[in-house]
Amino acid sequence: MSAAADLGTVSATRVLDVRDLTVAIEAHGRRLQPVSGVSLHISAGETLGLVGESGSGKSMTGAAIMGMLPPGGTITGGSVTLGGRDLRSLSETDYRQVRGNDIAMVFQDSLTSLNPTRTIGYQIAEPVRIHRGASRKEAWERAAEVLSLVGIPRPAERLGDYPHQLSGGMRQRVMIAMALACEPKVIIADEPTTALDVTMQAQVLTLLDGLKERLGMAMILITHDMGVIAGRADRVNVMYAGRIAEAADTEDLFAAMRHPYTHDLLASIPLLDQDRSARLYSISGLPPDLSERSAGCPYASRCRRVSDACTALAPELIEHMPGHAFACWHPMPPQSSPVLVARRQANDSRHEETVEDATPPRLAVSGLVKEYDVRRGWFGASARLSAVAGVSFEIAPGQTYGLVGESGCGKSTLGRTIIGLERPTAGEIRLDGLDLEPLKGGEGRRRRRPIQMMFQDPYASLDPRLRVAAIIREPLRLAGDADRSAQDARVRDLLDAVGLPTSVLERLPHELSGGQRQRVGLARALAVHPSVLVADEPVSALDVSVRSQVLNLMKDLQADLGLTSLVISHDLAVVKYLADRIGVMYLGKLVEEGAGEDIYQAAAHPYTAGLIAAIPEPVPDVERAKPAAAVTGELPSAIDPPSGCRFRTRCPLADDICAVREPELIDLGAGHKVACHFPLRVG
Amino acid sequence: MARYLARRLATSLVVVIGISIVVFLLLNAMSGAPGRSVLGPSASPEAVDAFNHKEGFDRPVVVQYLSYVQGLVQGDLGRSYKLNQDVGELLAQNAGRSAMLSLAALLLALAVAVPLGIYQARRRNRRSDSAITAATFMLYASPQFFLAVVAIEIFSVQLQLLPAQASQSRSAFVIFTDPRAMLLPILTLAAANIAIFARYQRSAALDQLGQDYIKVARAKGVSERKIVRSHLLRNSSLPLITLVGVSVPALLAGNLVIESVFNYPGLGLLFINSLAREDYPVLLAYTLIGGVLTVLGNLIGDLLVAIVDPRIELS
Repeated sequence: MSAAADLGTVSATRVLDVRDLTVAIEAHGRRLQPVSGVSLHISAGETLGLVGESGSGKSMTGAAIMGMLPPGGTITGGSVTLGGRDLRSLSETDYRQVRGNDIAMVFQDSLTSLNPTRTIGYQIAEPVRIHRGASRKEAWERAAEVLSLVGIPRPAERLGDYPHQLSGGMRQRVMIAMALACEPKVIIADEPTTALDVTMQAQVLTLLDGLKERLGMAMILITHDMGVIAGRADRVNVMYAGRIAEAADTEDLFAAMRHPYTHDLLASIPLLDQDRSARLYSISGLPPDLSERSAGCPYASRCRRVSDACTALAPELIEHMPGHAFACWHPMPPQSSPVLVARRQANDSRHEETVEDATPPRLAVSGLVKEYDVRRGWFGASARLSAVAGVSFEIAPGQTYGLVGESGCGKSTLGRTIIGLERPTAGEIRLDGLDLEPLKGGEGRRRRRPIQMMFQDPYASLDPRLRVAAIIREPLRLAGDADRSAQDARVRDLLDAVGLPTSVLERLPHELSGGQRQRVGLARALAVHPSVLVADEPVSALDVSVRSQVLNLMKDLQADLGLTSLVISHDLAVVKYLADRIGVMYLGKLVEEGAGEDIYQAAAHPYTAGLIAAIPEPVPDVERAKPAAAVTGELPSAIDPPSGCRFRTRCPLADDICAVREPELIDLGAGHKVACHFPLRVG
Repeated sequence: MARYLARRLATSLVVVIGISIVVFLLLNAMSGAPGRSVLGPSASPEAVDAFNHKEGFDRPVVVQYLSYVQGLVQGDLGRSYKLNQDVGELLAQNAGRSAMLSLAALLLALAVAVPLGIYQARRRNRRSDSAITAATFMLYASPQFFLAVVAIEIFSVQLQLLPAQASQSRSAFVIFTDPRAMLLPILTLAAANIAIFARYQRSAALDQLGQDYIKVARAKGVSERKIVRSHLLRNSSLPLITLVGVSVPALLAGNLVIESVFNYPGLGLLFINSLAREDYPVLLAYTLIGGVLTVLGNLIGDLLVAIVDPRIELS
């Protein structure tokens, strides 16, 4: 039996104790083992971080604890003990008494997490009525109570609201209120903030943290985000291929990790203060197929420290030091987090000024406005939604411009307008000095051909019934300036350029991994030798280890092909790594623009500063020292945006003038521009 | 809400006017001046002309249409020359029975199909699901007259359990006191709808079962039975409500077949008989009423969806 189960505090204070949990799923004639011999435990008031990439078994472990495995799933081994009670021996009826009462779960917010046709009051009161036997009225009162606990003002009035009337942040608060209603001993939060913007994420995580303390609950925080773990977890279990690779106190883990996977995972994350000139560390290959049982270490095929021992026998999770266990034959020497190393390097190589040259811009966007008519209800009065409200910027040849902002800020609309998928309401888009806007039909398409797009979702943006060869050939066929054999040759060149083997040519998109699909998307965008590449959230759908591969590739190709790029992302670290210049958008406006280092180190706009502060960094000390929430509140509606400065409703510095006059984008020097009446720095 | 209703009713009116024009023109093209068919083959041409002139059938089509509409507005649906009776009166005598048959069949179909579809969705791709799908599809694929004839053969002729003819009574009270006579017509009329409704309900329920809020409800400790009742049922019946709204024409068509097979004196039978008698004013009125009911069905369906689904605002 593994020693890891006996880590840390004595078992008497343990609320939940999971030992050697193994889960099997039988589906489509295949047998998968998504969880293999996982042991974990948690005490009251403690937060255990369960971190891993998709398919690591972290969510399946949570589902197994809840007794809610998907169809075909069974626990084939191990035990789950809650307060001395063996949950595996419970009947379904008895297990229901545990769910929502002793153990509650907070899911990732999506529009479908709440029943759309029931009031939130009903949904919060439901577990109270089931578990406490409360009357309708008592349960309703309890619902109002917990709703105020999660920070929703005037809770009694909101109980009658339906989920669609709430914003994403509010819905997540309602989800938390639902989980808290019966004061559970254990709360399992499965990616609780993944669907939220960073500023909202910070607010919700702080709320969860505070409630856990106040109510003395134990929390399992399941996430893929090392930054969230660093700031919120007391202990961390790193999962890989259904097993725990390393388990340690959070500070210990980040300061002296031993498992190569933990190290590689952390090293692959692009950081805010990443050295742009250095390539990102990347893990080759893909996680193993969980249906194939191999005797060896599951990470062996991707590990840089692999030896024969690794493929012969899987190492057990052993507590090598008090409170620090790892499963590895060749652990890394105790070393500090690659994050800290990267930080130091970046600090050294800072302040390399890029000289602004006077070459005319390749792409120039000026005064771009995009508005939509929206109807409220079926026959309601129409209103104007101002998605992009007068944005101007230029990209010099060979440079990369990064647009960053939260969802709803108009960055994707801007990208779509630039490539011609949307017609601007006003403003100009010039490519090499030529105004593209008046051009329509075939001529417009031909003139826009040098601008190509790489899409966010590599699955949805590839035709599921076309083979890879046909997908990449399509733009060549449409361009119509090469014969079939020349096209085939070009397709092979492109595959080579994006690092895919020719064996994928005859595959369909669903037969590829996420990273491979995104490479196909990139190859398709590059097919017609574009001079400008617009990449909208190019790596958001990818796991960390695959993300760094794609980011490295994009950076190499940009340099090799002399591409001019526009990178659009909510992730400032990604944008900063790829882009020479960055524009920060808020509610349709460009609020700040400048070189990446300027933006990051000397943000002049309060919104930029708040955005940067809200990004969780995988450094425990930094994360814990942060103030509660840098930007509070929620994004106002773009249908009726605030007067004057659009950020004023959430700005800590807002004054009367902000409501009256809209600040103009002024140059602070060296191309660092800000639109604010009270910039955080001048000149 | 009131504004929405006014708007919808206004558009409905336009649709109904359109239907009336098309139907009127079609019938006019078929029958033209009906003097000959009314007076019979032995009548003299002069008498026929005189009849057509007297009834206004020699006027331009537009004028005839306008005078028909003028009558409609005053509640006059025209006159059946064959039965020498007011069309409005004629329809009123039969409408109640048809409505009863259709409503009973519709409610029965829903009462069977909704639980069936949900049951299937929860046992998706298991043997019971496939068996029900096969059975309902057989019902769906069989023509209604065939189903009706088979039902009569089995239950009336062979087993002698139920009468082969529907109740002939004109009083609703009598029909209710002898439900056995209505059993076969209602069952056969419901049969085809059960298949369609169950299919819809199954796919809508499958859709909803995959939504996260079902998982969230389980995590709260809600029992499966309660999940179906308080979460699944309402969300999964939204598509069906719309479908019921638009299935009025199918019900009317079903009435034609079922009423004539079971000799049930409703609107459907009246239509079939009028067709044989070339009684155009009756056909015209029936078709027009069908159009109005279809438009109304759509409107009621949309209103119901809006009532059940809080996300839809009628403003």
